[in-house]
Amino acid sequence: MNYITTYCHINSESCKVNGAIVAENTGENWLKDLYLNLGIKYPKFHKMDTLSQVAFLASEFLIRSNEDIGKYKEDEIALIFSNKTSSLNTDIKYQNSYENGGTASPAMFVYTLPNILLGEISIRNKWYGEHIFTLFPTFNQKYFVDYPEALLGEYTKACLCGWVEVNNDKIEAFLFFIEKKASKQLNLLHTEQNIERLYKQANG
Amino acid sequence: MDLFIGSENIISPLGNTASENFNSLRRNESGIQKHINVGFKGEDVYLSKIDSKSIDFYSLLEQSFSESIKGISDEIIESGRCLVFVSTTKGDLSHVNEDSIHSSVQRLQNQFKLANYPLIVSNACISGILALNAAAKLIRSEKYDHAIVIGCDVVSDFILYGFQSLFAISELPCEPFSADRKGITLGEGAATIVMSKDKDIFFASPLRYLSGSSSNDANHISGPSRTGEGLARTIIKTIENANVLISDIDYISAHGTGTLYNDEMESIALDRLKLNDVPINSLKGYYGHTLGAAGVIETVVSMQCLRNNYLIKSLGYKEQGTSCNINMIQKNLEREIKVVLKTSSGFGGCNASAILSK
Amino acid sequence: MGNLKEDLKSQIIEQLNLEEVSVSEIEDDMPLFGDGLSLDSIDALELIVLLEQYHGVRIANPEEGKKIFQSVNSMAEYIIQEKKGA
Repeated sequence: MNYITTYCHINSESCKVNGAIVAENTGENWLKDLYLNLGIKYPKFHKMDTLSQVAFLASEFLIRSNEDIGKYKEDEIALIFSNKTSSLNTDIKYQNSYENGGTASPAMFVYTLPNILLGEISIRNKWYGEHIFTLFPTFNQKYFVDYPEALLGEYTKACLCGWVEVNNDKIEAFLFFIEKKASKQLNLLHTEQNIERLYKQANG
Repeated sequence: MDLFIGSENIISPLGNTASENFNSLRRNESGIQKHINVGFKGEDVYLSKIDSKSIDFYSLLEQSFSESIKGISDEIIESGRCLVFVSTTKGDLSHVNEDSIHSSVQRLQNQFKLANYPLIVSNACISGILALNAAAKLIRSEKYDHAIVIGCDVVSDFILYGFQSLFAISELPCEPFSADRKGITLGEGAATIVMSKDKDIFFASPLRYLSGSSSNDANHISGPSRTGEGLARTIIKTIENANVLISDIDYISAHGTGTLYNDEMESIALDRLKLNDVPINSLKGYYGHTLGAAGVIETVVSMQCLRNNYLIKSLGYKEQGTSCNINMIQKNLEREIKVVLKTSSGFGGCNASAILSK
Repeated sequence: MGNLKEDLKSQIIEQLNLEEVSVSEIEDDMPLFGDGLSLDSIDALELIVLLEQYHGVRIANPEEGKKIFQSVNSMAEYIIQEKKGA
């Protein structure tokens, strides 16, 4: 049996870790505020597109709240992320950059792939493990049980899973960490029901 | 658990079946041609396109899938124990909207009465190998018994202009690993492979999928690691999991895009693992870089090589262009091959590999 | 010329999303690709876009760009030179 040992939600209203609010949107520049809240110096953040920024921020809040994460080796954590619209938000901006007499932006073009956010998280944490980005029409809790179970074994010892969606002005991130043992703070079995319940907590 | 792969298909400028494609490759025919006035500034650009007009993403997807499933029993396709995987980077870009991928996938599910909504893998250029690996892991963990993996991507202005802005498009047909290489040539196509724990679902003899893995470079989101870190790591894991020795590998089907940095990185990774002497090629001189379809198209070609004991020369290669020596296949070769290593790398620092065998 | 360099600095900051850098921190002769700004290969390509969009100056390939993007000084000189020739 595996356990969900930490989770993080970010939406347009707030950032919560393990269900508790850690920051609220005061309406200025929400993602930049969250970055400042973290108190890190990571200028690459500002070059990321919105999808990568949201994923990055959620991963940072999650990682710092679980001290066990630092104990894994550099290739033992798998990144398993999904969403519905891929990189649509950036696709539109990129397309606008070259239509109507403009010039295609190379930096923006790179972000027209949803898996780039996996690269950003890997670079930040120096993680060399398994990773995959998939698309679903709606949040898929079955996948978030099946695939981690399929991966956990000899090489992969833990999974950082995430559903990160940016659609027009709406941002949504739900990240959770799966380990083979429970943590001190959270003792939740890694099941479809629990994942679905936590996912829905975002709007509660 | 033993895993079998077969009933494979490719739809490309080189043919509509795996055999047709392989016969074209034997004749060293390339799908790459000059297309007039298609670049962002009206430039002529070399591309590998199925049709000079824009091809419809769904037709390509559906055509490859329906060709492929002719090789297995009908009840497999509609079974709840079968999961279809769709590997694509951008789907249907004829209009950038919410449904550039889902509407095609939903249509596929409806048309073929698939029990499960296909799993869409969208992970840059490693999507194809990643989809095969994901299929293997889900079957080995007994979530499913069979998988049908389709890779599909089409050339579009969106993609072409983007690579042009990166100065990554070669003015001539791409020359993977060669000294004068100047970039990629984009291509389009689709390919399908059926994977199963049950040998008997295949009408023709299947081959074997031994193992696969992925590993991130953790270095840069678009440039490959200068030390080939992620690629070396995935190859090591894959070889260990396949229970083979380095000396068992008969052929490497590399990613080989034709850019200065990618091909150099691959040679460094292979050198680190002492894979310098294994016959190696890139197929991108024939197909161009087919992005989300590449991993599947190129794996299907590897399967033909295994079936025919025949290796295809690396088209576009003229002279060594990497700092580490690798054993480029410069002429078609008849050679008994039993074990193939397939690798791929992509934006986001991603790398994946798989090993197939007879 | 003075305005051009100041403009270039703000354009660089905006085009490359250098949010934590101010115009005053970029010296005219500072190596742009040195430790100061930690620019990478994608940034170099974005500078090519910047020259084209803001100054109507085209660079044919990134190799050419290496010398031109050494510093704000070299960028400004190139722009002026190209505009004279045009």
